[in-house]
Amino acid sequence: MSSSTKVPRLSGFLASTLPKISFLLGGLSLALTAVLWRGNPHHTAFSYLFSFLFFLSITLGSLFFVIIQHLTRAGWSVVLRRIPETFAMNAWVMAVFFLPILFGIHELYHWTHADVVAADPILQGKAGYLNIKFFLVRAVLFLGAWVWMARYFYKKSVKQDSSGDPKLTLSMQAFSAAAILIFAITLTFGIIDWAMSLTPHWYSTMFGVYFFAGSAVAAFAIMSLVALTLRRFGYLKDIIRVEHYHDVAKFLYGLNIFWAYVSFSQYFLIWYANIPEESVWFMQHFNGSWNTVAAALAIGHFFVPFLIFMSKHTRRNLTAHCAMMVWFLVMHCLDIYWLIMPNITPNGIHISMSDISSFVGIGGIYIGFFWLRLRNASLIPVQDPRLPESLRHHT
Amino acid sequence: MTTVKLYGLLAEYKDPSALIHAVEKLRDAGYKNFETYSPFPIHGMDSAMGIKDSVLGWIVVACGATGLASAIALQTWVSVSAYRVVTSGKLLFSFQAFVPVCFELMVLFAGFGAVFGMFALNGLPKLYHPLFKNHRFRTATSHGFFVTVESSDSRFSLEGTARFLQEIGGLSVEVVEE
Repeated sequence: MSSSTKVPRLSGFLASTLPKISFLLGGLSLALTAVLWRGNPHHTAFSYLFSFLFFLSITLGSLFFVIIQHLTRAGWSVVLRRIPETFAMNAWVMAVFFLPILFGIHELYHWTHADVVAADPILQGKAGYLNIKFFLVRAVLFLGAWVWMARYFYKKSVKQDSSGDPKLTLSMQAFSAAAILIFAITLTFGIIDWAMSLTPHWYSTMFGVYFFAGSAVAAFAIMSLVALTLRRFGYLKDIIRVEHYHDVAKFLYGLNIFWAYVSFSQYFLIWYANIPEESVWFMQHFNGSWNTVAAALAIGHFFVPFLIFMSKHTRRNLTAHCAMMVWFLVMHCLDIYWLIMPNITPNGIHISMSDISSFVGIGGIYIGFFWLRLRNASLIPVQDPRLPESLRHHT
Repeated sequence: MTTVKLYGLLAEYKDPSALIHAVEKLRDAGYKNFETYSPFPIHGMDSAMGIKDSVLGWIVVACGATGLASAIALQTWVSVSAYRVVTSGKLLFSFQAFVPVCFELMVLFAGFGAVFGMFALNGLPKLYHPLFKNHRFRTATSHGFFVTVESSDSRFSLEGTARFLQEIGGLSVEVVEE
Protein backbone atom coordinates (compact mmCIF):
# COMPACT_ATOMS: atom_id res chain seq x y z
CA MET A 1 0.00 0.00 0.00
CA SER A 2 2.57 2.55 1.09
CA SER A 3 4.93 1.85 -1.80
CA SER A 4 2.10 2.66 -4.20
CA THR A 5 1.50 6.00 -2.45
CA LYS A 6 3.35 8.52 -4.58
CA VAL A 7 4.10 11.67 -2.65
CA PRO A 8 6.08 14.36 -4.43
CA ARG A 9 8.73 16.25 -2.49
CA LEU A 10 8.16 19.91 -1.79
CA SER A 11 9.70 22.04 -4.55
CA GLY A 12 9.33 25.40 -6.26
CA PHE A 13 7.92 28.44 -4.45
CA LEU A 14 7.15 26.77 -1.09
CA ALA A 15 10.54 25.05 -0.91
CA SER A 16 12.86 27.90 -1.84
CA THR A 17 11.24 31.28 -2.49
CA LEU A 18 8.94 31.32 0.56
CA PRO A 19 11.69 30.48 3.08
CA LYS A 20 13.91 33.14 1.48
CA ILE A 21 11.20 35.79 1.74
CA SER A 22 10.49 34.71 5.33
CA PHE A 23 14.13 34.87 6.36
CA LEU A 24 14.61 38.27 4.69
CA LEU A 25 11.49 39.73 6.28
CA GLY A 26 12.32 38.14 9.63
CA GLY A 27 15.94 39.28 9.54
CA LEU A 28 15.03 42.88 8.71
CA SER A 29 12.35 42.96 11.40
CA LEU A 30 14.70 41.52 14.00
CA ALA A 31 17.27 44.20 13.07
CA LEU A 32 14.57 46.84 13.52
CA THR A 33 13.64 45.24 16.86
CA ALA A 34 17.27 45.46 17.96
CA VAL A 35 17.32 49.17 17.11
CA LEU A 36 14.04 49.70 19.01
CA TRP A 37 15.45 47.70 21.94
CA ARG A 38 18.37 50.17 22.20
CA GLY A 39 15.89 53.03 22.27
CA ASN A 40 13.38 51.57 24.72
CA PRO A 41 14.55 48.23 26.14
CA HIS A 42 11.74 48.07 28.70
CA HIS A 43 8.88 48.19 26.20
CA THR A 44 10.64 46.20 23.47
CA ALA A 45 11.43 43.37 25.89
CA PHE A 46 7.72 42.91 26.55
CA SER A 47 6.88 43.05 22.84
CA TYR A 48 9.53 40.43 22.29
CA LEU A 49 8.24 38.20 25.09
CA PHE A 50 4.74 38.33 23.60
CA SER A 51 6.01 37.27 20.17
CA PHE A 52 8.23 34.60 21.69
CA LEU A 53 5.33 33.07 23.61
CA PHE A 54 3.06 33.11 20.56
CA PHE A 55 5.47 31.06 18.46
CA LEU A 56 6.44 28.91 21.42
CA SER A 57 2.77 28.05 21.87
CA ILE A 58 2.54 26.84 18.26
CA THR A 59 5.64 24.69 18.78
CA LEU A 60 4.32 23.17 22.00
CA GLY A 61 0.81 22.66 20.65
CA SER A 62 2.31 20.79 17.70
CA LEU A 63 4.43 18.66 20.00
CA PHE A 64 1.26 17.86 21.93
CA PHE A 65 -0.47 16.77 18.72
CA VAL A 66 2.35 14.37 17.83
CA ILE A 67 2.51 12.89 21.34
CA ILE A 68 -1.23 12.43 21.68
CA GLN A 69 -1.50 10.67 18.29
CA HIS A 70 1.09 8.10 19.34
CA LEU A 71 -0.37 7.81 22.82
CA THR A 72 -3.80 6.94 21.43
CA ARG A 73 -2.45 4.89 18.49
CA ALA A 74 -4.45 7.16 16.22
CA GLY A 75 -4.72 6.10 12.60
CA TRP A 76 -6.76 8.92 11.09
CA SER A 77 -4.08 11.57 11.56
CA VAL A 78 -1.07 9.86 9.97
CA VAL A 79 -1.26 11.90 6.75
CA LEU A 80 -1.20 15.12 8.80
CA ARG A 81 1.49 14.18 11.30
CA ARG A 82 4.54 15.39 9.38
CA ILE A 83 3.33 18.99 9.65
CA PRO A 84 3.20 19.19 13.50
CA GLU A 85 6.34 17.04 13.69
CA THR A 86 8.11 19.71 11.67
CA PHE A 87 6.64 22.54 13.74
CA ALA A 88 7.74 20.82 16.95
CA MET A 89 11.27 20.60 15.53
CA ASN A 90 11.32 24.41 15.65
CA ALA A 91 11.83 23.99 19.42
CA TRP A 92 15.53 24.65 18.86
CA VAL A 93 14.64 27.91 17.04
CA MET A 94 12.65 28.92 20.12
CA ALA A 95 15.60 27.92 22.34
CA VAL A 96 17.81 30.36 20.40
CA PHE A 97 15.11 33.03 20.51
CA PHE A 98 15.03 32.62 24.29
CA LEU A 99 18.49 34.24 24.60
CA PRO A 100 17.25 37.86 24.18
CA ILE A 101 14.85 37.24 27.08
CA LEU A 102 17.90 36.58 29.25
CA PHE A 103 19.36 39.92 28.10
CA GLY A 104 16.09 41.59 29.00
CA ILE A 105 15.54 39.66 32.23
CA HIS A 106 15.83 42.79 34.38
CA GLU A 107 13.46 44.68 32.10
CA LEU A 108 10.82 41.96 32.29
CA TYR A 109 10.92 40.39 35.74
CA HIS A 110 11.16 42.75 38.66
CA TRP A 111 11.85 39.88 41.07
CA THR A 112 15.34 39.82 39.52
CA HIS A 113 16.20 43.14 41.17
CA ALA A 114 17.89 42.63 44.52
CA ASP A 115 16.64 45.96 45.92
CA VAL A 116 13.01 45.12 45.02
CA VAL A 117 13.27 41.73 46.74
CA ALA A 118 14.95 43.27 49.78
CA ALA A 119 11.93 45.54 50.28
CA ASP A 120 9.34 42.85 49.61
CA PRO A 121 8.71 40.09 52.17
CA ILE A 122 6.57 38.08 49.74
CA LEU A 123 9.32 37.98 47.13
CA GLN A 124 11.82 37.06 49.84
CA GLY A 125 9.65 34.09 50.66
CA LYS A 126 9.63 33.05 46.99
CA ALA A 127 13.33 33.71 46.44
CA GLY A 128 14.17 30.04 46.84
CA TYR A 129 12.35 29.41 43.57
CA LEU A 130 12.34 32.81 41.88
CA ASN A 131 16.05 33.53 41.56
CA ILE A 132 18.03 34.07 38.40
CA LYS A 133 20.25 31.02 38.76
CA PHE A 134 17.39 28.54 39.22
CA PHE A 135 15.40 30.37 36.51
CA LEU A 136 18.23 29.67 34.07
CA VAL A 137 18.55 26.03 35.09
CA ARG A 138 14.82 25.55 34.58
CA ALA A 139 14.85 27.29 31.20
CA VAL A 140 17.62 24.98 30.01
CA LEU A 141 15.68 21.96 31.30
CA PHE A 142 12.39 22.97 29.66
CA LEU A 143 13.78 24.04 26.30
CA GLY A 144 16.11 21.02 26.32
CA ALA A 145 13.22 18.66 27.01
CA TRP A 146 11.19 20.09 24.12
CA VAL A 147 14.09 19.92 21.66
CA TRP A 148 14.82 16.37 22.80
CA MET A 149 11.23 15.14 22.51
CA ALA A 150 10.65 16.85 19.15
CA ARG A 151 13.84 15.31 17.76
CA TYR A 152 12.91 11.88 19.13
CA PHE A 153 9.61 11.82 17.25
CA TYR A 154 10.82 13.55 14.10
CA LYS A 155 13.97 11.45 13.64
CA LYS A 156 12.18 8.14 14.16
CA SER A 157 9.32 9.14 11.91
CA VAL A 158 11.65 10.20 9.09
CA LYS A 159 13.78 7.09 9.58
CA GLN A 160 10.65 5.00 9.05
CA ASP A 161 10.09 6.73 5.69
CA SER A 162 13.07 4.81 4.31
CA SER A 163 13.26 1.71 6.54
CA GLY A 164 9.55 1.01 6.96
CA ASP A 165 10.33 -0.63 10.29
CA PRO A 166 7.10 -0.94 12.33
CA LYS A 167 9.20 -1.22 15.52
CA LEU A 168 9.81 2.53 15.24
CA THR A 169 6.09 3.09 15.68
CA LEU A 170 6.12 0.89 18.77
CA SER A 171 9.04 2.75 20.31
CA MET A 172 7.40 6.13 19.63
CA GLN A 173 4.23 4.77 21.19
CA ALA A 174 6.11 3.61 24.29
CA PHE A 175 7.90 6.95 24.65
CA SER A 176 4.71 8.96 24.19
CA ALA A 177 3.44 7.98 27.67
CA ALA A 178 6.50 9.46 29.34
CA ALA A 179 6.54 12.33 26.85
CA ILE A 180 3.03 13.54 27.68
CA LEU A 181 3.97 13.68 31.37
CA ILE A 182 7.21 15.55 30.68
CA PHE A 183 5.31 17.83 28.30
CA ALA A 184 2.64 18.72 30.88
CA ILE A 185 5.16 19.48 33.61
CA THR A 186 7.59 21.48 31.47
CA LEU A 187 4.85 23.51 29.79
CA THR A 188 3.19 24.36 33.09
CA PHE A 189 6.35 25.42 34.87
CA GLY A 190 7.71 27.11 31.75
CA ILE A 191 4.74 29.42 31.44
CA ILE A 192 4.76 30.05 35.21
CA ASP A 193 8.37 31.22 34.86
CA TRP A 194 8.01 33.31 31.73
CA ALA A 195 4.53 34.80 31.95
CA MET A 196 3.10 34.33 35.45
CA SER A 197 6.22 35.58 37.21
CA LEU A 198 5.73 38.95 35.49
CA THR A 199 3.34 39.52 38.43
CA PRO A 200 5.26 37.52 41.02
CA HIS A 201 2.86 38.08 43.91
CA TRP A 202 0.01 36.54 41.98
CA TYR A 203 -0.56 32.86 41.32
CA SER A 204 -3.12 30.69 39.60
CA THR A 205 -3.13 26.91 39.39
CA MET A 206 -5.05 27.20 36.09
CA PHE A 207 -2.36 29.19 34.36
CA GLY A 208 -0.48 26.32 32.72
CA VAL A 209 -3.65 24.62 31.52
CA TYR A 210 -4.90 27.94 30.16
CA PHE A 211 -1.74 28.44 28.11
CA PHE A 212 -1.83 24.82 26.98
CA ALA A 213 -5.42 25.04 25.73
CA GLY A 214 -4.68 28.14 23.67
CA SER A 215 -1.49 26.55 22.34
CA ALA A 216 -3.30 23.45 21.18
CA VAL A 217 -5.97 25.53 19.40
CA ALA A 218 -3.28 27.58 17.63
CA ALA A 219 -1.25 24.53 16.62
CA PHE A 220 -4.29 22.75 15.17
CA ALA A 221 -5.24 25.89 13.26
CA ILE A 222 -1.79 26.38 11.75
CA MET A 223 -1.56 22.67 10.88
CA SER A 224 -4.77 22.95 8.91
CA LEU A 225 -3.57 26.14 7.23
CA VAL A 226 -0.29 24.54 6.15
CA ALA A 227 -2.21 21.56 4.75
CA LEU A 228 -4.50 23.94 2.86
CA THR A 229 -1.49 25.84 1.53
CA LEU A 230 0.02 22.58 0.29
CA ARG A 231 -3.32 21.78 -1.29
CA ARG A 232 -3.43 25.17 -3.01
CA PHE A 233 -0.02 24.38 -4.53
CA GLY A 234 -1.22 20.98 -5.69
CA TYR A 235 0.30 18.73 -3.00
CA LEU A 236 -1.50 15.88 -1.20
CA LYS A 237 -4.83 16.73 -2.80
CA ASP A 238 -6.20 13.19 -2.61
CA ILE A 239 -4.29 12.34 0.55
CA ILE A 240 -5.34 15.02 3.04
CA ARG A 241 -9.04 15.03 2.26
CA VAL A 242 -12.12 16.80 3.58
CA GLU A 243 -12.54 13.93 6.05
CA HIS A 244 -9.23 14.85 7.71
CA TYR A 245 -10.02 18.57 7.77
CA HIS A 246 -13.37 17.72 9.31
CA ASP A 247 -11.72 15.75 12.11
CA VAL A 248 -9.11 18.45 12.76
CA ALA A 249 -11.95 20.96 13.04
CA LYS A 250 -13.87 18.74 15.47
CA PHE A 251 -10.80 18.23 17.63
CA LEU A 252 -10.06 21.96 17.56
CA TYR A 253 -13.67 22.77 18.40
CA GLY A 254 -13.44 20.65 21.52
CA LEU A 255 -10.12 22.21 22.51
CA ASN A 256 -11.53 25.69 22.01
CA ILE A 257 -14.42 24.92 24.35
CA PHE A 258 -11.80 23.60 26.76
CA TRP A 259 -9.93 26.90 26.45
CA ALA A 260 -13.13 28.81 27.26
CA TYR A 261 -13.88 26.49 30.17
CA VAL A 262 -10.42 26.85 31.67
CA SER A 263 -10.11 30.61 31.18
CA PHE A 264 -13.57 31.20 32.61
CA SER A 265 -12.88 28.90 35.58
CA GLN A 266 -9.69 30.82 36.35
CA TYR A 267 -11.60 34.09 36.31
CA PHE A 268 -14.73 32.77 38.02
CA LEU A 269 -13.08 31.44 41.19
CA ILE A 270 -11.03 34.59 41.64
CA TRP A 271 -14.07 36.79 40.98
CA TYR A 272 -16.14 34.87 43.53
CA ALA A 273 -13.58 34.86 46.31
CA ASN A 274 -12.64 38.47 45.60
CA ILE A 275 -9.45 38.32 47.64
CA PRO A 276 -7.14 41.26 46.86
CA GLU A 277 -3.95 39.27 46.24
CA GLU A 278 -5.79 37.12 43.70
CA SER A 279 -8.03 39.67 42.00
CA VAL A 280 -5.11 42.08 41.44
CA TRP A 281 -4.19 40.26 38.23
CA PHE A 282 -7.65 40.69 36.75
CA MET A 283 -7.78 44.31 37.91
CA GLN A 284 -4.63 44.83 35.86
CA HIS A 285 -5.99 42.93 32.84
CA PHE A 286 -9.41 44.63 32.93
CA ASN A 287 -8.04 48.15 33.19
CA GLY A 288 -9.07 50.66 30.50
CA SER A 289 -9.42 49.23 27.02
CA TRP A 290 -7.94 45.89 28.20
CA ASN A 291 -11.46 45.24 29.45
CA THR A 292 -12.68 45.50 25.85
CA VAL A 293 -9.94 43.11 24.77
CA ALA A 294 -11.03 40.59 27.41
CA ALA A 295 -14.64 40.85 26.22
CA ALA A 296 -13.48 40.52 22.62
CA LEU A 297 -11.67 37.30 23.58
CA ALA A 298 -14.74 35.84 25.27
CA ILE A 299 -16.85 36.64 22.22
CA GLY A 300 -14.31 36.16 19.44
CA HIS A 301 -12.25 33.27 20.80
CA PHE A 302 -15.23 31.35 22.15
CA PHE A 303 -18.79 32.41 21.27
CA VAL A 304 -18.39 33.21 17.57
CA PRO A 305 -16.48 30.01 16.67
CA PHE A 306 -18.76 28.04 19.00
CA LEU A 307 -21.76 28.98 16.88
CA ILE A 308 -20.14 29.10 13.44
CA PHE A 309 -18.07 25.94 13.75
CA MET A 310 -20.92 23.92 15.29
CA SER A 311 -22.19 22.98 11.86
CA LYS A 312 -20.43 20.21 9.99
CA HIS A 313 -21.03 22.14 6.79
CA THR A 314 -18.70 24.94 7.94
CA ARG A 315 -16.10 22.43 9.04
CA ARG A 316 -16.20 20.58 5.74
CA ASN A 317 -16.38 23.65 3.47
CA LEU A 318 -12.67 24.32 2.96
CA THR A 319 -13.11 28.07 2.34
CA ALA A 320 -15.08 28.53 5.56
CA HIS A 321 -12.72 26.13 7.33
CA CYS A 322 -9.70 28.16 6.20
CA ALA A 323 -11.28 31.46 7.30
CA MET A 324 -12.06 29.99 10.74
CA MET A 325 -8.50 28.72 11.17
CA VAL A 326 -7.10 32.19 10.39
CA TRP A 327 -9.62 33.60 12.87
CA PHE A 328 -8.46 31.17 15.60
CA LEU A 329 -4.83 32.19 15.07
CA VAL A 330 -5.70 35.90 15.28
CA MET A 331 -7.68 35.27 18.47
CA HIS A 332 -4.86 33.25 20.00
CA CYS A 333 -2.46 36.06 19.15
CA LEU A 334 -4.78 38.54 20.90
CA ASP A 335 -4.99 36.15 23.86
CA ILE A 336 -1.21 36.07 24.32
CA TYR A 337 -1.07 39.84 23.79
CA TRP A 338 -3.65 40.34 26.54
CA LEU A 339 -1.69 37.98 28.78
CA ILE A 340 1.59 39.91 28.51
CA MET A 341 1.10 43.48 27.45
CA PRO A 342 -1.00 44.97 30.32
CA ASN A 343 2.28 44.81 32.22
CA ILE A 344 3.79 47.49 29.99
CA THR A 345 0.78 49.54 28.81
CA PRO A 346 -1.39 49.33 31.95
CA ASN A 347 -4.01 51.85 30.81
CA GLY A 348 -5.16 50.03 27.72
CA ILE A 349 -4.17 48.30 24.52
CA HIS A 350 -1.58 50.22 22.57
CA ILE A 351 0.02 48.42 19.63
CA SER A 352 3.54 49.69 19.10
CA MET A 353 6.16 49.34 16.38
CA SER A 354 8.19 46.91 18.50
CA ASP A 355 5.17 44.57 18.85
CA ILE A 356 4.95 44.27 15.08
CA SER A 357 8.68 44.13 14.41
CA SER A 358 9.36 41.43 17.01
CA PHE A 359 6.33 39.41 15.87
CA VAL A 360 7.31 39.52 12.19
CA GLY A 361 10.95 39.01 13.16
CA ILE A 362 10.50 35.83 15.17
CA GLY A 363 7.67 34.71 12.88
CA GLY A 364 9.69 35.15 9.68
CA ILE A 365 12.63 33.10 10.92
CA TYR A 366 10.26 30.54 12.46
CA ILE A 367 8.19 30.05 9.30
CA GLY A 368 11.33 30.03 7.15
CA PHE A 369 12.85 27.17 9.13
CA PHE A 370 9.53 25.33 9.06
CA TRP A 371 9.32 25.25 5.25
CA LEU A 372 13.02 24.46 4.93
CA ARG A 373 12.61 21.42 7.12
CA LEU A 374 9.38 20.36 5.46
CA ARG A 375 11.34 20.29 2.20
CA ASN A 376 13.90 17.88 3.64
CA ALA A 377 11.59 14.94 4.19
CA SER A 378 8.53 13.37 2.64
CA LEU A 379 5.34 15.38 3.21
CA ILE A 380 3.67 12.42 4.90
CA PRO A 381 5.08 9.42 6.83
CA VAL A 382 5.02 7.19 3.72
CA GLN A 383 5.86 3.92 5.50
CA ASP A 384 3.83 4.34 8.65
CA PRO A 385 1.96 1.08 9.35
CA ARG A 386 -1.24 3.05 9.97
CA LEU A 387 -1.01 5.06 6.76
CA PRO A 388 -3.53 2.87 4.88
CA GLU A 389 -6.04 3.50 7.66
CA SER A 390 -5.47 7.22 7.37
CA LEU A 391 -5.75 7.16 3.57
CA ARG A 392 -9.12 5.43 3.81
CA HIS A 393 -10.27 7.53 6.73
CA HIS A 394 -13.94 8.37 6.71
CA THR A 395 -15.65 10.34 9.47
CA MET B 1 -60.91 -15.28 8.60
CA THR B 2 -58.50 -12.47 9.18
CA THR B 3 -56.81 -10.88 6.20
CA VAL B 4 -53.06 -10.63 6.54
CA LYS B 5 -51.65 -7.23 5.72
CA LEU B 6 -48.53 -7.04 3.61
CA TYR B 7 -45.49 -5.34 5.17
CA GLY B 8 -43.18 -5.57 2.18
CA LEU B 9 -40.42 -7.60 0.59
CA LEU B 10 -37.19 -8.84 2.16
CA ALA B 11 -34.15 -9.56 -0.01
CA GLU B 12 -30.75 -10.88 1.04
CA TYR B 13 -27.47 -9.85 -0.56
CA LYS B 14 -24.09 -11.52 -0.63
CA ASP B 15 -21.84 -8.94 1.00
CA PRO B 16 -21.63 -5.24 1.94
CA SER B 17 -20.63 -4.10 -1.55
CA ALA B 18 -23.49 -6.07 -3.16
CA LEU B 19 -25.84 -4.45 -0.64
CA ILE B 20 -24.55 -0.94 -1.42
CA HIS B 21 -24.86 -1.45 -5.18
CA ALA B 22 -28.35 -2.87 -4.84
CA VAL B 23 -29.42 0.03 -2.67
CA GLU B 24 -28.01 2.57 -5.12
CA LYS B 25 -30.13 1.00 -7.86
CA LEU B 26 -33.22 1.05 -5.62
CA ARG B 27 -32.60 4.72 -4.90
CA ASP B 28 -32.08 5.51 -8.59
CA ALA B 29 -35.25 3.61 -9.50
CA GLY B 30 -37.17 6.07 -7.31
CA TYR B 31 -37.92 3.90 -4.26
CA LYS B 32 -38.25 5.84 -1.02
CA ASN B 33 -39.53 3.51 1.74
CA PHE B 34 -36.78 0.96 1.99
CA GLU B 35 -34.38 0.00 4.74
CA THR B 36 -31.10 -1.91 4.99
CA TYR B 37 -29.88 -4.27 7.70
CA SER B 38 -26.29 -5.39 8.23
CA PRO B 39 -24.29 -6.83 11.15
CA PHE B 40 -22.04 -3.73 11.18
CA PRO B 41 -22.24 -0.14 9.90
CA ILE B 42 -21.25 0.18 6.23
CA HIS B 43 -19.43 3.35 5.17
CA GLY B 44 -21.21 5.19 2.39
CA MET B 45 -24.57 3.56 3.08
CA ASP B 46 -26.24 6.89 3.93
CA SER B 47 -25.46 8.43 0.56
CA ALA B 48 -26.19 5.15 -1.26
CA MET B 49 -29.66 5.12 0.31
CA GLY B 50 -30.13 8.81 -0.43
CA ILE B 51 -30.72 9.62 3.25
CA LYS B 52 -30.72 13.33 3.94
CA ASP B 53 -29.12 14.94 7.00
CA SER B 54 -31.06 14.15 10.14
CA VAL B 55 -33.04 16.96 11.72
CA LEU B 56 -31.80 15.75 15.11
CA GLY B 57 -29.08 18.42 15.18
CA TRP B 58 -31.69 21.17 14.96
CA ILE B 59 -33.73 19.56 17.73
CA VAL B 60 -30.63 19.50 19.94
CA VAL B 61 -29.80 23.15 19.16
CA ALA B 62 -33.38 24.21 19.90
CA CYS B 63 -33.41 22.29 23.20
CA GLY B 64 -30.00 23.68 24.17
CA ALA B 65 -31.15 27.23 23.44
CA THR B 66 -34.30 26.63 25.50
CA GLY B 67 -32.19 25.34 28.40
CA LEU B 68 -29.92 28.38 28.20
CA ALA B 69 -32.85 30.79 28.06
CA SER B 70 -34.64 29.14 30.99
CA ALA B 71 -31.43 29.18 33.07
CA ILE B 72 -30.97 32.91 32.45
CA ALA B 73 -34.65 33.62 33.12
CA LEU B 74 -34.79 31.52 36.30
CA GLN B 75 -31.63 32.96 37.84
CA THR B 76 -32.45 36.53 36.90
CA TRP B 77 -35.92 36.24 38.38
CA VAL B 78 -34.65 34.57 41.57
CA SER B 79 -31.76 36.93 42.26
CA VAL B 80 -33.09 40.23 40.92
CA SER B 81 -36.77 40.03 41.84
CA ALA B 82 -37.87 37.14 44.05
CA TYR B 83 -35.00 36.94 46.60
CA ARG B 84 -33.02 40.18 46.57
CA VAL B 85 -30.12 38.92 48.68
CA VAL B 86 -26.81 40.73 48.38
CA THR B 87 -24.03 38.15 48.56
CA SER B 88 -20.48 39.31 49.40
CA GLY B 89 -21.20 42.74 48.03
CA LYS B 90 -21.83 41.58 44.48
CA LEU B 91 -24.49 42.93 42.15
CA LEU B 92 -27.89 41.27 42.20
CA PHE B 93 -27.48 40.58 38.49
CA SER B 94 -24.02 38.97 38.43
CA PHE B 95 -23.78 37.11 35.13
CA GLN B 96 -20.54 35.45 36.26
CA ALA B 97 -22.38 33.52 38.93
CA PHE B 98 -25.04 32.44 36.42
CA VAL B 99 -22.64 30.83 33.97
CA PRO B 100 -22.31 27.37 35.60
CA VAL B 101 -26.08 26.90 35.84
CA CYS B 102 -26.54 28.23 32.29
CA PHE B 103 -23.99 25.72 31.09
CA GLU B 104 -25.55 22.84 33.02
CA LEU B 105 -29.12 23.50 31.94
CA MET B 106 -28.06 24.00 28.33
CA VAL B 107 -26.25 20.66 28.34
CA LEU B 108 -29.09 18.90 30.18
CA PHE B 109 -31.78 20.13 27.81
CA ALA B 110 -29.61 19.43 24.76
CA GLY B 111 -28.93 15.93 26.09
CA PHE B 112 -32.63 15.26 26.59
CA GLY B 113 -33.27 16.61 23.10
CA ALA B 114 -30.64 14.30 21.64
CA VAL B 115 -31.80 11.11 23.38
CA PHE B 116 -35.55 11.55 23.22
CA GLY B 117 -35.39 13.22 19.80
CA MET B 118 -33.50 10.19 18.52
CA PHE B 119 -36.13 7.89 20.07
CA ALA B 120 -38.94 9.83 18.43
CA LEU B 121 -37.28 9.98 15.01
CA ASN B 122 -36.55 6.24 15.11
CA GLY B 123 -40.04 5.37 16.29
CA LEU B 124 -38.75 3.88 19.53
CA PRO B 125 -39.65 2.19 21.77
CA LYS B 126 -41.04 -0.44 19.44
CA LEU B 127 -42.26 -3.70 20.93
CA TYR B 128 -42.98 -5.52 17.69
CA HIS B 129 -41.63 -5.51 14.17
CA PRO B 130 -42.84 -7.75 11.31
CA LEU B 131 -39.29 -8.78 10.45
CA PHE B 132 -38.91 -10.57 13.79
CA LYS B 133 -41.08 -13.38 12.42
CA ASN B 134 -38.71 -14.08 9.55
CA HIS B 135 -36.22 -16.89 10.17
CA ARG B 136 -33.76 -15.92 7.50
CA PHE B 137 -33.59 -12.39 8.92
CA ARG B 138 -31.98 -13.70 12.14
CA THR B 139 -28.60 -13.79 10.41
CA ALA B 140 -28.71 -9.98 10.14
CA THR B 141 -26.84 -9.83 13.44
CA SER B 142 -24.04 -12.15 12.30
CA HIS B 143 -23.48 -12.38 8.55
CA GLY B 144 -26.64 -11.44 6.64
CA PHE B 145 -27.06 -8.31 4.51
CA PHE B 146 -30.70 -7.42 3.88
CA VAL B 147 -32.93 -4.90 2.16
CA THR B 148 -36.63 -4.46 2.85
CA VAL B 149 -38.91 -2.52 0.56
CA GLU B 150 -42.14 -1.52 2.25
CA SER B 151 -45.48 -1.95 0.56
CA SER B 152 -46.29 1.68 1.43
CA ASP B 153 -43.83 2.85 -1.22
CA SER B 154 -45.62 4.41 -4.19
CA ARG B 155 -43.54 2.37 -6.66
CA PHE B 156 -44.18 -0.91 -4.83
CA SER B 157 -45.81 -3.82 -6.63
CA LEU B 158 -45.48 -7.35 -5.34
CA GLU B 159 -44.30 -8.95 -8.56
CA GLY B 160 -42.47 -5.99 -10.13
CA THR B 161 -40.50 -5.12 -7.02
CA ALA B 162 -39.69 -8.77 -6.30
CA ARG B 163 -38.30 -9.15 -9.82
CA PHE B 164 -36.33 -5.93 -9.48
CA LEU B 165 -34.78 -7.01 -6.16
CA GLN B 166 -33.64 -10.22 -7.83
CA GLU B 167 -32.29 -8.43 -10.89
CA ILE B 168 -30.07 -6.23 -8.71
CA GLY B 169 -28.45 -9.25 -7.10
CA GLY B 170 -30.91 -10.47 -4.47
CA LEU B 171 -30.09 -14.04 -3.37
CA SER B 172 -33.55 -14.65 -2.02
CA VAL B 173 -36.67 -12.54 -2.01
CA GLU B 174 -39.40 -13.18 0.55
CA VAL B 175 -42.73 -11.65 1.40
CA VAL B 176 -43.01 -10.19 4.90
CA GLU B 177 -46.44 -9.88 6.49
CA GLU B 178 -47.50 -7.57 9.27
